[in-house]
Amino acid sequence: MITIELNGQQQPLPADSTVSNLLSIVGSDGKSLAVVVNEQIIRPEKRSAHKLQEGDRVELLMFAGGG
Amino acid sequence: MDLLQLGSYTFSSRLILGTGKFSNSTVMIDAVRASGAQLVTVALRRFNREQSEDDLFGPLLTLEGITLMPNTSGASTAAEAVRAAHIARELSGSPFIKVEIHPNPQHLMPDPIETFEASRILAKEGFLVMPYIAADPVLAKRLEEVGCASVMPLGSAIGSGQGLATSEMLNIIIRESGIPVIVDAGLRSPSEAALAMEMGCAAVLVNSAVAAAGNPPLMAEAFAEAVVAGRKAIRAGLMERSGSAVATSPLTFLGTI
Repeated sequence: MITIELNGQQQPLPADSTVSNLLSIVGSDGKSLAVVVNEQIIRPEKRSAHKLQEGDRVELLMFAGGG
Repeated sequence: MDLLQLGSYTFSSRLILGTGKFSNSTVMIDAVRASGAQLVTVALRRFNREQSEDDLFGPLLTLEGITLMPNTSGASTAAEAVRAAHIARELSGSPFIKVEIHPNPQHLMPDPIETFEASRILAKEGFLVMPYIAADPVLAKRLEEVGCASVMPLGSAIGSGQGLATSEMLNIIIRESGIPVIVDAGLRSPSEAALAMEMGCAAVLVNSAVAAAGNPPLMAEAFAEAVVAGRKAIRAGLMERSGSAVATSPLTFLGTI
């Protein structure tokens, strides 16, 4: 197991998890989310190949109401 | 055809609608439809699986002919706003970005220095930058010089409903500006939107006035009509003011019979 920081919270993950695996764990297909790992945007086509490492800081962001 | 031009984009509607503070996304979507808005603002938030109904991506996909303008709300520095803009563009697929940097939640006044710096960087990167600013003619001109697509001075504080409290400064900005001036924030009633357009604003951005109305879709429609009326009025040319009465009927005839 590894531990990442997901939206500011500690999140345990199986070793070798990818961004796509993480999205499945949080229950999103990822279509409406932007994924940022250590301040780098991970585009949808890269998510299944991008492996997460111990201590990675991951932000999952979406559009919400705003003026 | 009288179109709003922002960068290479043109819009027939001059009403821009914000999507915040609606009771739910169905009401918001109905209000956007009723407003006829073609440019709609959204905010970037952390995903929360317990509040997935806040995710507007699905509801917004049901709207046709809409261009998204994400804002950078939540950023308190230029660097944060630039990062937010890059992330937002990934999701929106739109070059529009509303630069909104207000570090103090008490008054939500935009930070002019951070706003200028973020706008300068993003305009250089090719974004269509729409900065939310205080009604400051000098700052507005500086933002025009660094390539912003428009300037969006506030009428009054965000969500305050105090209307066009800054009208004297807005008039100077409109007179001096070579780019569209869009009043953003503070409007409460459609008559204020009409007045902003009569003053020469290129468009009006409203959110709270619609979202907090008793019937948001009906209010959205009212704002749409007011913006059209105000725009027609300035195109038609308002009559000159006079310090004294000027008769519209002959004053001599009845005295002679």
